[in-house]
Amino acid sequence: MPDWVDPVAHYMLHEGLKNTLRIAVFAVAGSTVIGILLGTLMTIRFRPLEWLLRLYVEVWRGLPIIVTIFLVYYALPTTPYVHYRFGAFTGAAVGLTLWGSAQVAEATRGAVQSIPREQHEAAGALGFGWIGRHLFVILPQALRRLLPPLVSLIANIIQNTTIASLIGVTELLATGQRSIERLQFEVGANSHAFAIYTALLAAFFCISFPLTRLASFLERRLV
Amino acid sequence: MLAANFDWQFIWDHLPDFWEGLKQTLKVAGIGIAGSLAIGIVLGAARAHRVPVVSWLAATYVEVIRNTPILVQIFFIAGALPHFPGHPIRLEPFTIAWLAVVIWGGAYNTENFRAGFEAVPYRYREAGLALGLGRLGTFFNVTLPIGARIALPSTINTNVSVLKNTSLLTAIGFAELTNTAYSLESESFKATEVYFALGVTYLIVVWTLSLLIRVVERRLALPEAR
Amino acid sequence: MRRIAVAAASLLLAAAVFTGLGAATPGGKFIRTAAPVPLPKPKPKPAKPKLPPLPSAVKSRKHWEIGVKCDFPPFGFIDVRGNNDGYDVQVAQRFAQLAFGSKKKVSFTCVTTPSRIPTLMSGRVDIIVSTLTWTQARADQIDFSIPYYSATGRLLVPNSSSVTVPTLAGKTVVTTRGALYAAWTRNCFKSTKLLEVDSPALAVSAVKDGRADTFMFDDAFLLGVATQDRDVRLTSDKFLNVPWGIGIRKGETAMSRWVNAALRYMKKRDEFVKILRANAPARLVSGFLDNVPRPKNTFAYPVGKDVTTICP
Repeated sequence: MPDWVDPVAHYMLHEGLKNTLRIAVFAVAGSTVIGILLGTLMTIRFRPLEWLLRLYVEVWRGLPIIVTIFLVYYALPTTPYVHYRFGAFTGAAVGLTLWGSAQVAEATRGAVQSIPREQHEAAGALGFGWIGRHLFVILPQALRRLLPPLVSLIANIIQNTTIASLIGVTELLATGQRSIERLQFEVGANSHAFAIYTALLAAFFCISFPLTRLASFLERRLV
Repeated sequence: MLAANFDWQFIWDHLPDFWEGLKQTLKVAGIGIAGSLAIGIVLGAARAHRVPVVSWLAATYVEVIRNTPILVQIFFIAGALPHFPGHPIRLEPFTIAWLAVVIWGGAYNTENFRAGFEAVPYRYREAGLALGLGRLGTFFNVTLPIGARIALPSTINTNVSVLKNTSLLTAIGFAELTNTAYSLESESFKATEVYFALGVTYLIVVWTLSLLIRVVERRLALPEAR
Repeated sequence: MRRIAVAAASLLLAAAVFTGLGAATPGGKFIRTAAPVPLPKPKPKPAKPKLPPLPSAVKSRKHWEIGVKCDFPPFGFIDVRGNNDGYDVQVAQRFAQLAFGSKKKVSFTCVTTPSRIPTLMSGRVDIIVSTLTWTQARADQIDFSIPYYSATGRLLVPNSSSVTVPTLAGKTVVTTRGALYAAWTRNCFKSTKLLEVDSPALAVSAVKDGRADTFMFDDAFLLGVATQDRDVRLTSDKFLNVPWGIGIRKGETAMSRWVNAALRYMKKRDEFVKILRANAPARLVSGFLDNVPRPKNTFAYPVGKDVTTICP
């Protein structure tokens, strides 16, 4: 290994990968909780609520994630009456959560609706209210169908954390680029761009591939 | 609805800029969708028919593209290929733009069409062969028309994503819609106005595209799926 | 199962390419010609400088939170150990020393050209020391300290190129998003195509990789590139001389007062030259002595006139 590799790898793993995973953890947790909640609510037959949730899902699924992150990070602070300010890290996590929760909501709605009516009725007969019925009877069954899309979501969110580099978060892609620039600056014309970008592709592949494999395995097993 | 200090005039004044950006976005997305469908049909067929070597290479291509972020792929084409050892590859921003989305969409569409072609019942193909259509003739007259229509719904998501992913080309400064808005905001600091307009534009385009494809899909749908 | 094998093979291939390449790459040793020499040990100070009281938020936290560039050598970049360094970073470290007696009492947040003002306004950082050129539009958003550097615009071109400012028509100019140069190019060179990217390094590669004809930017950055890289050079054109300031949230008068007093103190003691020497290649320093504030070298912002509409 040439001398330059060690410090670059150290920086990319300890700063870059760490931040990538931190954003991903927040975004995955947020997307799952909000998405399952909204997706379950989407099965309620009450027009205004249905429209509102449909709008939420279609807007955040329709916008490119980069635009969502720009809206959260750049536009909210200057929006009249809102003026809400996030740091770059939180801005990226919130933007990814909006997108991810819309994906999970749509999947949850499908999963909940696939549970036969009799299950609802039986749970009702046992004296469960709406919340108890969904929490203890319907959702545990829906989870089987939900698991594969949730695992793919993790892979997708990890890949999309790279967009955070565009608003200044030093995640994996950004640390790779800073390393390319530093090496260029220090040793001149001899560029390491090819090696470092190849390493970035390889790193993301190593994280993402097992997850997408797991997702399709679960899909075959559970559905 | 919005407060008085929301500067509608600013959006109005810069509509021509947005239009210029949108034209570039649509141009790249158009090439991207057409190219990725072509790749998808060819490689999807190779995968479904287990064509030796080609099928194997196509599988690798699909897995590499689907398991790496498209933003890194864009930077790889723009920033790493010019330093390809021994054989630098230098491309124009526009070439990088459409190439990146074609490669990305092609991988997803390969999977979509593979699944579609594999879903064509084997007896249909046997019937084609029995009629003396030959392997290629059977593909074009039997497997393609039926399999492509089975694959259609899943290609919709991919095609819409191709359009949405053109927004990431802003990272290399390609003057599409998001890039235009980003630069406008960096000089004017009218963030709410600029990104509100940007978001609405994308939603109109994305929703229109999904609607359009859905109409086409309904007209092409297999009789039993209607 | 077969797909897993396929993927494993492709991964191995990628790894092989990567390691093979790494091993084949010459010049692994760091030649840190343009890299900073550590600051000279601070001499024992006779007395603490008389500065206005620190803003209470910074004082109670006992360290600064400062936004700096991480992609802008030699002003703000990441060094070999992953630490922030550069002219801007050392100005920020000097602030830490003046405020708390140790240059370590500061933590840095990386900002990009388009993200720095939103990051400041988000409250994530106290101030931004991030190559911030004064413009009227920016001054409407945030307050500027007195200038701490003054940059001049130059053109970076491939050696074989004949592009100069008078011949920009029809060419592609790359610069960073939101920079003065973008507005100036739009206003003065109608038929010139503009490529706006987020970092100067991306702009350099755009020129080197053939996506743009020239990179229009601040002299200090470009000169650093041109001395390192034998494929590119600077033209003799000079334009748009505008000073940089430290960005402060609007209305934070205690902060402005402290920062300006600190900058004046550093200017009086000619400290900016020391910081310049620590960050620029020795043979270039003499050419930049007029770019830093010195006891007899004072800059002023072009308040009230839009320099981007003044065409050559």
